[in-house]
Amino acid sequence: MDISMLWVNYPYFVAIILFCLGCLCILTQHNLVKKVIGINIMETGIFLFFIAVGNIEGGVAPIYDPTLPEGVLYINPLPSVLVLTGIVVSFSVTAFALAIIVKLYQFYGTVYAPDIMRLR
Amino acid sequence: MDDYITRVVFRYVLLFILLYGLYIILHGHVSPGGGFAGGMVIGMGLLLYFLLFGLEWRAKLRRLPMDVALVFIGLGGILEAVKFLLPHEHGPVGMPGTLFSVGIISVVNFGIGLLVASTILSIFYLLVEED
Amino acid sequence: MFLWDKLPFLLIIIILLLCFVMPFFARWKPVVCPYLTVVTVIIVFVISVVLTFRVAGGEVIHYHAGDWPPPWGIEIFIDELAAMMLLLLTGSCLLIVFYSLKALTKEIPGPAIGWYYTLFLLTLASMMGIVVTNDLFNLYVMVEIVSIGAVGLVVAKGEKLSTEASLRYLMLATLGSGFMLFAIGFLYQVTGNLNMPYVAAELLEVRDQYPFLMWATLSFFTVGLGVKAALFPLHIWLPDAHSSAPSPSSAVLSGLVVKVYIISMLRIYFLVFGIEVFNETFLRSLILLLATMAILGGSLFAFVQLDLKRRLAYSTVAQIGYIFLGMGLGTVWGVTAALLHIIIHALMKICLFMSAGAVYYQTGRKKVIHFSGLGYQMPVTMAAFTIASLSMVGIPFFGGFITKYGLALGSLEANNPYFIVLIVVSGLLNAAYYFPIVWQAYFTSGHDPQMTMDKVPFTMLVPIIITALGIIYMGLFPGRILEFLEQVSIRLLL
Repeated sequence: MDISMLWVNYPYFVAIILFCLGCLCILTQHNLVKKVIGINIMETGIFLFFIAVGNIEGGVAPIYDPTLPEGVLYINPLPSVLVLTGIVVSFSVTAFALAIIVKLYQFYGTVYAPDIMRLR
Repeated sequence: MDDYITRVVFRYVLLFILLYGLYIILHGHVSPGGGFAGGMVIGMGLLLYFLLFGLEWRAKLRRLPMDVALVFIGLGGILEAVKFLLPHEHGPVGMPGTLFSVGIISVVNFGIGLLVASTILSIFYLLVEED
Repeated sequence: MFLWDKLPFLLIIIILLLCFVMPFFARWKPVVCPYLTVVTVIIVFVISVVLTFRVAGGEVIHYHAGDWPPPWGIEIFIDELAAMMLLLLTGSCLLIVFYSLKALTKEIPGPAIGWYYTLFLLTLASMMGIVVTNDLFNLYVMVEIVSIGAVGLVVAKGEKLSTEASLRYLMLATLGSGFMLFAIGFLYQVTGNLNMPYVAAELLEVRDQYPFLMWATLSFFTVGLGVKAALFPLHIWLPDAHSSAPSPSSAVLSGLVVKVYIISMLRIYFLVFGIEVFNETFLRSLILLLATMAILGGSLFAFVQLDLKRRLAYSTVAQIGYIFLGMGLGTVWGVTAALLHIIIHALMKICLFMSAGAVYYQTGRKKVIHFSGLGYQMPVTMAAFTIASLSMVGIPFFGGFITKYGLALGSLEANNPYFIVLIVVSGLLNAAYYFPIVWQAYFTSGHDPQMTMDKVPFTMLVPIIITALGIIYMGLFPGRILEFLEQVSIRLLL
């Protein structure tokens, strides 16, 4: 494998690093709010991956414009649309998780998972 | 929030925020943006408004935005469902690149905008009422 | 005709529209919500019966949302498998809605009932969406909506335990759908399509160029959907969530929600990747191993639980193992038995959870040791419970026997007869944790063993009786449905 592949494909590596960081954050953090932040980091990594898939070097936004010159490259709009849907989904999951955490805080007075296990 | 400058400035800026959100929604098909982004702008503007002024309203009025948001969620959802039931060429199709050129999609965009703005408001209110 | 063509889509959009309108009623007129839900589910049931007749007449239904043809737009696709699942989902949800009319009044706080039905309808709509969709990204969106709706069904009880269990469920479900979305991204990058048949056709050409990517995608799909379908080591969220939910939600979650993920797993493994990839890679042995662990481990965990609903929840883990065992065998009889077990386990678990809820409704008892003499106080409910537990154990003439027989045939077909020993052992383990309950109910005499009738409402009793009769029917006359499922599995394994 050529070492320059690493530089050309750097968005993919960043995406995978973000994904792994988010997973680690969800699985190892004891603070529940930090777990929610971990979910968001993980999904950001995935969205970055999708955007990188759809991007074209030197392309323009995929809106038909008669004033542009002939033969201009439009980037692939489909991954952007998918990311938009994914953002909506991740937003609603975050809101829902935060609402549940608020409720847990009312019950136990803490958002720290080991304390909740102890108080049960 | 008791910041005097924020209140005075925001009272004048709010209208422009709403107008900008409406602009993004209506031009969703000719420029980047669309129903979701514009709805987010409108929702954030309204949310900031109620954050600054709403909490000192009378208890009866305080639930009002939540109720209105519930109604608008329904309206927006019904408008959005249009896109799945009707073929996409429905409605006036004019010059590409101009404002009125995509037929039914403008209506759907508007529905999405309503939906997103009122969803943000209602989530905010549900979280605030838990106190 | 406008409506006739749009019928497959109306199935989902009617419920989704009602979900938009329902908060309005939940806020101002919460009394209306249950009846509105009943009417909607009846309409959807009728539509799915009509669609099933159309499919049974030899028609395969394709519907393009917004008139965009397949490689670009979302395609809805109803074949025999989807029609069967639609009938199962809507029929069971109809029974559960009738049951929950009265049962919910004792289990969740009053103001939450309207919102509960909103989430219930949302879960039903997106489950049907998972079953009928032919588009990978749409599958992801529907899976995510099912997660949110199912977590909402758990958290509706508003108690400490259910809130905590639902947060764990939400975290793991989101983690799983993140893995699934990444796998879909890989597939999209390689093939440039999201429509399942197109992806499958592209994969045939390119899969030799990217061997590592195939491995990564398959494992991501397995982990992502396996978390949601409660494959054994990933099941840790299930017992808490299913046992602390209100009993109608437990019936939906245990009977239906975990099954639709397995259906989409079947589609992805066999239709998108193809049986060759499934046989070549590690995946087949992995699934067989995990299924064995699930059957033994789930039964052993269930054995030590004292709370009835917790015991039923661990039993779900074990029964999911059966379905994965049939899937991992990868032969016609194995997949047929897996599909049949999806139906029969749905009937059994719904019956068991509804009986447990009825016992709680009348007497307030939850522990297994408090069941003594219950067979005389609630004869109908306990009779249904007994039928379902006999079927779980695998006594002949009940539904569960047919799947065990099919699995045994499938393991012979796959040249792997050791699994017959596993099936027999797991039957004994099932007997070890179901029969004590029945024994307690009938043969340990309470203070006054005089017969009385059940004091639970009529709407709760009838669904329990219908599911019990369904189990007996499946056990006595399995011929036609077995033929039908065999056709489906031959087409899957092609």
